[in-house]
Amino acid sequence: MIFLRRQVPLLITLITGIVFAAQYYVPHPASEQMLTSVTKWLQIIGGFALVLGVSSLFHVHAIKIRRKEAGWGYSFVLYVSMLGTIAVGLWSNGKEAVDGTMTAFGWIYNFMMVPLQGTMFAILAFFIASAAYRSFRARSREAAVLLIAAVIVMMGRVPLGEYLLPISGDLSQWILNVLNASVRRAILIGVSLGTVALSIKIIFSMERSYLGGGKE
Amino acid sequence: MTFAERMLKIDRRIIFLVIGFCTLLPLLYPVGLPIKISPEVRGVYDYIESLPEGSVFLLSLDFDPASKPELHPQAISLLRHAFRKNLRVIAMTLWVSGTGMADQVVTQVAREMGKESGKDYVFLGWSPGGTAVIINMGQDLYGAFPADYNGKPTKGLPVLQGIANLRDVSYAVSLGAGNPGVEAWYVFGKDKYKFELAGGCTGVMAPGLYPLLRSGQINGLIGGLRGAAEYEILIGQKGKAVAGMDAQSATHLAIIVLVIICNVFYLSLRKTTRQQAHSGT
Amino acid sequence: MPVETIIGAWVATGLTLFIFTFLYKDNPLFKLAENLYVGVSVGYTIVKTYDTVVVQLIWKPIVENGEWTLLIPVAIGLLMLTRYVPKAAWLSRYAFAFIVGVGSGLAIPRTISSFILKQIEDTVRPLMMLVPGEGVSFTWSLLNPASSLNTIIILVGVSSVLFYFFFSVEHTGPGKIVARTGILFLMIAFGAAFGYTVMARMSLLIGRLTDLIEFTDPSYGRPSLWLLGLTILTLVVMSRRSSNKQPKEEE
Repeated sequence: MIFLRRQVPLLITLITGIVFAAQYYVPHPASEQMLTSVTKWLQIIGGFALVLGVSSLFHVHAIKIRRKEAGWGYSFVLYVSMLGTIAVGLWSNGKEAVDGTMTAFGWIYNFMMVPLQGTMFAILAFFIASAAYRSFRARSREAAVLLIAAVIVMMGRVPLGEYLLPISGDLSQWILNVLNASVRRAILIGVSLGTVALSIKIIFSMERSYLGGGKE
Repeated sequence: MTFAERMLKIDRRIIFLVIGFCTLLPLLYPVGLPIKISPEVRGVYDYIESLPEGSVFLLSLDFDPASKPELHPQAISLLRHAFRKNLRVIAMTLWVSGTGMADQVVTQVAREMGKESGKDYVFLGWSPGGTAVIINMGQDLYGAFPADYNGKPTKGLPVLQGIANLRDVSYAVSLGAGNPGVEAWYVFGKDKYKFELAGGCTGVMAPGLYPLLRSGQINGLIGGLRGAAEYEILIGQKGKAVAGMDAQSATHLAIIVLVIICNVFYLSLRKTTRQQAHSGT
Repeated sequence: MPVETIIGAWVATGLTLFIFTFLYKDNPLFKLAENLYVGVSVGYTIVKTYDTVVVQLIWKPIVENGEWTLLIPVAIGLLMLTRYVPKAAWLSRYAFAFIVGVGSGLAIPRTISSFILKQIEDTVRPLMMLVPGEGVSFTWSLLNPASSLNTIIILVGVSSVLFYFFFSVEHTGPGKIVARTGILFLMIAFGAAFGYTVMARMSLLIGRLTDLIEFTDPSYGRPSLWLLGLTILTLVVMSRRSSNKQPKEEE
């Protein structure tokens, strides 16, 4: 039973990992057809993964409502809005507009989801200003360099900054295209090396945390 | 508490009010300062200008309503430009919550430019899987999207005639707010299927895409609201992005002033503390 | 203006202002909007997933086109869902093993090619132009990112930052100078990142306020102005009520 529970999944990872890493270098039509089919499968499996992510949310808030814990009223609002959106969506066949006319589902999307999500992220503007005022201090030489670079880029990327200080535009372009590009390149190379190393570790069973689920 | 200490501990709601006013006033009373065009935005514009009529232009609107203010104007400008050049437009999205917005913007601009769905453009919609969708499109477009967003089978659409997969795309632009975005389109798309690629992105993502711009992996980059404003000026149709640039100027200046003030108070406080420590010893 | 658009404008404005009340302090209006946001987003995702995956990618191809091989990914997907059944949860490992194996396998060669080899190539290739050859000149322009001077700066930046992150070697002697150069480059890049983040966040606020200003139009019934007044009144009443409760509790 241990073989079925532990070894077979690791074997599946090993075989699929090696096959698809090697596929990149094999231009034979059969290899290309395999890639086409399996990536099509991944699209379908991706849909099930979304369901998985969402159902845990259902579960957590259902318990909160059932046990009438503190704030269960808000969980009730969440549940009702979720079920309401699903009902309206299915009734509208999942479409936001039909021949240019907005459906009920489209109404919920345009007048509830878009403003809600947009505003949630818009209030971050206020917090970044407040955080900048409280924490952006030149405590050391490096912090001062960070400060000066930030001020130059903030000036150079807006018309008023370029108007008041024309050199800030060219300077911020140079900072972005040369200095920033070199640092980001180094970070990209480093992170990619890490990603490749982790992927190899996963394929060769040196890293197993992704399995989860069920006892050993 | 000294004046400097009090100013450093000021109620953050006052700062919120300052930012609120700096954003609101320029929107109500715009000034319209000139905007310089950067080479990275011009790169995208020039390439689309150089495409012959009937070329295939793929626009992937990989963002959700949270990034709408920055990327929606970019989408509108790119679509207007592509339709003006009579390119065959394939639009899609890799982000589920952006599907409605993407459908709406493509339909709106197409109607404005007198273009017909199925003949001049197609909106493929969304498919789960992120990078798997890109690879699948690279292998077989009709397998990845058997039908367009309205349910019409993609095989046989006049706009997709002669297109089997991503290799037949002349130019692809991904408007990305995160992952999957521009990087995913390069790694899983352009790397193997060799189409020309450019990126549009939010201000947060932009600095991270400069290495790809420098190496030619993307031939242009439209960064944030500023990039959108530059593109609106290039196509000669000013919109929400240009209108927002005055407010952007005001808020940036406000933040710079706040940071300078905070540092002036901080340094004066540090000097006083050091003087007290010296006189104490 | 159609009725549903007017109602929609009022609802959108109200919800926007509810979320903005968080700037004053956490309150029931914000919590209501927050939970509504999560509920609607999740509901939307579920509908879209059902329509795209079940109808377009599974049902139609299998039933109308007879692509029976698509039952394999459906089976793998269902295996994934066994994660919620405690006794059969170990079956979900097969699904995760497949997904992770394929994902890792696909990612390795593509990441190496795109982000390692191509990036290193672009750092090193321009240096070939500096090697004395036929009519090669050294370009000094700082404004042109492809100039020789900038190529050297990029090389210095990339190597010093990569060296800085190499923690298995002690940063002493000449290594210390290289590491400090790396830190300098890093600070400048983080400053640029901060500048762009400020730009991004402000743009989002500008977008929302633009919409609010649009909804002050009389054709919508001026919801922004009416609801702003109502929200401020509600906040004042709520803060009065909480300050009345405090002295009563003290008594």
